[in-house]
Amino acid sequence: MALPDIYTEGIASGWKVIDAARLSAAQTMQADVAIIGSGAGGGVAAEVLALAGLKVLLLEEGALRTSDSFRDMDEGRAMRELYQEGAARATSDGAIAVLQGRSVGGSTTVNWTSSFRTPEPTLKHWAAEWEVIGHGVEEMKPWFEQMEKRLDVMLWEAQNPNNGVLMRGCQKLGWEAHAIPRNVRGCWNSGYCGLGCPVNAKQSMLVSTIPEALRHGATLVHRLRVRQLQHADGKITAAVCEALRDDGRTPSGTLLTVKARHFIAAGGAINTPALLLRSQLPDPHKRLGQRTLIHPVVLSLAQMPERIDPFFGAPQSTASDHFQWKDGATGPMGYKLEVPPIFPGIGAGVLNVFGDELRREMSALAHTSAVLALLRDGFVESSPGGSVRLADDGSPILDYELSDYVWDGVRRAYLSMAELQFAAGAKQVRAAHLDARYVGSWGEAKKVIAELPLQKFRATLFTAHLMGGCAMSQNPKRGVVDSGGRHHQMANLSVMDGSVFPTSIGANPQLSIYGLVAQNTTALAKDLM
Amino acid sequence: MRCEPAEFDGLPRRDFLKVGLGFSLALTAGTALFGCSDAGRTASAGYVFLRPGDVELFSALAPAVVTELGAFDATKRGTTVEAMLSNVDGTCAALDMGSRQELRKLLDLLAIAPLRYALTSVGAWNEAGTEKMQAFLTRWRGSRFATLNAGGNVLVRLTASSFYLLPESWPSTGYPGPLEYVFKAVNS
Repeated sequence: MALPDIYTEGIASGWKVIDAARLSAAQTMQADVAIIGSGAGGGVAAEVLALAGLKVLLLEEGALRTSDSFRDMDEGRAMRELYQEGAARATSDGAIAVLQGRSVGGSTTVNWTSSFRTPEPTLKHWAAEWEVIGHGVEEMKPWFEQMEKRLDVMLWEAQNPNNGVLMRGCQKLGWEAHAIPRNVRGCWNSGYCGLGCPVNAKQSMLVSTIPEALRHGATLVHRLRVRQLQHADGKITAAVCEALRDDGRTPSGTLLTVKARHFIAAGGAINTPALLLRSQLPDPHKRLGQRTLIHPVVLSLAQMPERIDPFFGAPQSTASDHFQWKDGATGPMGYKLEVPPIFPGIGAGVLNVFGDELRREMSALAHTSAVLALLRDGFVESSPGGSVRLADDGSPILDYELSDYVWDGVRRAYLSMAELQFAAGAKQVRAAHLDARYVGSWGEAKKVIAELPLQKFRATLFTAHLMGGCAMSQNPKRGVVDSGGRHHQMANLSVMDGSVFPTSIGANPQLSIYGLVAQNTTALAKDLM
Repeated sequence: MRCEPAEFDGLPRRDFLKVGLGFSLALTAGTALFGCSDAGRTASAGYVFLRPGDVELFSALAPAVVTELGAFDATKRGTTVEAMLSNVDGTCAALDMGSRQELRKLLDLLAIAPLRYALTSVGAWNEAGTEKMQAFLTRWRGSRFATLNAGGNVLVRLTASSFYLLPESWPSTGYPGPLEYVFKAVNS
C-alpha cells in the first residue's frame, strides 16, 4: 500500500510548482503578493491570501521534499535534505546547536508536532511591555481555534515510554504535567516526525496550507534564494532572487526578478532578519536582527530499568509547566520540561563522549531516556537574547551570549530534570554536560550539579525555536514591524513569521506563528483587495 | 621549530582568550611563526570540503572516537571509515560561510605541523594511534581554554555522528532501523 504522493498528483493536475534549479534563463515573475519562505508563517499566509483571491507567489530556498523521499525513514537523509546547514547550524561560536528546517514547509516539515497556544502571560507581557495591540488573550482565541481546526490539533494521550518517564516523575513529585496537543491526522505513532512524516499524517505546511494555496492558483518556486529586496521611496520595488543548483546551496547563475504589490518576509528568525539586513532597509532605531530569542535547551539523560526505545512513538506527548510561570513572567528564568526523541546520529552528538564511553552509552540507547528544559528567554533585561549579522557572502550569523540569569536557569533546570528522572525510577542520571558523569542517586546528582561549571562548550546547548529579530511593536523605536506585521518604514512589506515575537513564547512556537499569521494576513488581505 | 605542550599552556590566558572562541588569532600567530599551512589548498578527490590533511585527521579520529571500529575486520573498517568521512564532508559542505570558516581555521591550524604538535602532542595523524588521539581530545576538552573545548567538541561530535548515522552501527545501539510496520507499509 504505497502512499500517494500529494505533490506528484497535484503537479500532474496542474499545480504551478517550479524548481529553480531547472531554470536556465533569467526571468521576471509578477504577483499580487510574493511570500519569501514557506514555513509556519509563509504557509499560512499563502493559504489565506490565495483563498482571498490574490495571486500568490511562494518562494522557498530549500528544495521540495515530499513523502516519496521520506519513505526511507533515514536520519542521515533527513539531516542532509531537510535541515538548515545539514542539521549542523550553530551560533557563531559553535556553542549552541540550531535545529531548523530548510525545505518546502520549513521547520513544520521536521518539527515534533507540539501545538500550544501562546501562553496568556506571554501575550499579556507583550501588551504591557512591548506596546503590542490586537493580540490579547481574547483577541487571539478565535485565531488559535481556527488554526487548531485547520491543522487537526488534538490532545495526544498515547505516551511512548520516553514521555511516560516525564509524566510519571511529575506525578510522583506532585508537579504540574499535561498532555500535548499535536497537529496530526491519522498519525501512525511512528516517531519519525523529525525526519519528514512518512505517512503525511503530520499537518505540516507541506501537506496542508501549501497544497490548498496551490489548488487556488498560487505558484511555488523552490531552490530559489532571495538575495535582496530592492526599494525606493519607502516601498519595495522588486525581489532579486538567485536560482540554486541541485545541491540547494550553490547559485546556478540564473537570476529571477520578482515584482509584486506586496512582499511578505517569512524566512524565520534567522533568515528574515538576514534578508532585511542584506537589503539595507531603513532601520533608524537599530532594531533589525536584535533580540533573537531561542529558548536555550539543556538536557538530562537517564538510564531506565525498562526499555524506552526513545526513537519510536510520538516524540512529544507530555510537558510540564511546573517551573514555567512560578515566579511570574519576569522572575528568575522559567522553563518548560519536555522530552526529545533520540535517534542514533543526533543522539551520539548529544552524548558528546568518545571512545569506550561512547560505545557504552550508545549500547544502552534503548534504555536511555532524556528530558529537556526550554528556557524562556527575553522577558527581563538581563536576558536580551542574541543578534543576527551577515557574513561576507550575505549569509546569516547568529551571536548569542548566556548571562548569569540564564545560567542560573540552566542549573535549576538540571536539578529539576535529575530529580524528576530519579522519581520516575531512573537507575542513573547525568546532565548533558562535559563534566557530568552518571550518578546513581538524587542526592549524588544534587552535589554534582551544584559543582558543574556553567560555561559555553561545557554545557550541551541546543535550540529548535528561533524567534525575534524583527520584533513587533506599535512604537517604531522598539520594533521593526507594527502589531499587524507591517514594516514601520516600508509601506508594502510585512513580516509574517516567528521573528516578530518580542520575547520568546514559553512553549513550542508553531501554533503561536499559525494563529498570529492567520490573524495578520486576514487583515492584510482586506487591505489588498 | 617546536613548541612543547607545556610552553603552549604557558601562553598568557588573557591573550589566548582574545581569539573570541574562534581560532583566528592562533591561526594568524601560527602562520606568522611557521609559514603557510602545509595542508593542500583544495579538497581531496571525492570530497567537497575535506582537504588531504583533514582526511588524515578524521581517519585518525575515527577509531579513537568510535572504538567499535577496532572489532571490524580491515575491509569493513576501511569501508566504514570511508562512509564516515563522506558524512563528515557532507556536513561541513552544508555549513554557511560563518561556521565553514571557523571550522576551516581549526583544521588549518591542525594542519601546521609545529602547531599541531604544540596543541595536540601528535606528530603525524596517521602514526598517532588511538591512545594518543584520545589523549589529545581529553586534553582539549578538559582545557581551561574555551577555544580548545569548542574544537574538541566539534571533532568528537562530527566523528561520532558520522558513524551512528550508518546502518552498520545500529545493531550495537538497540535501534533496529526504521520502524518495521510503517516502513513496510510505505515501501510495499
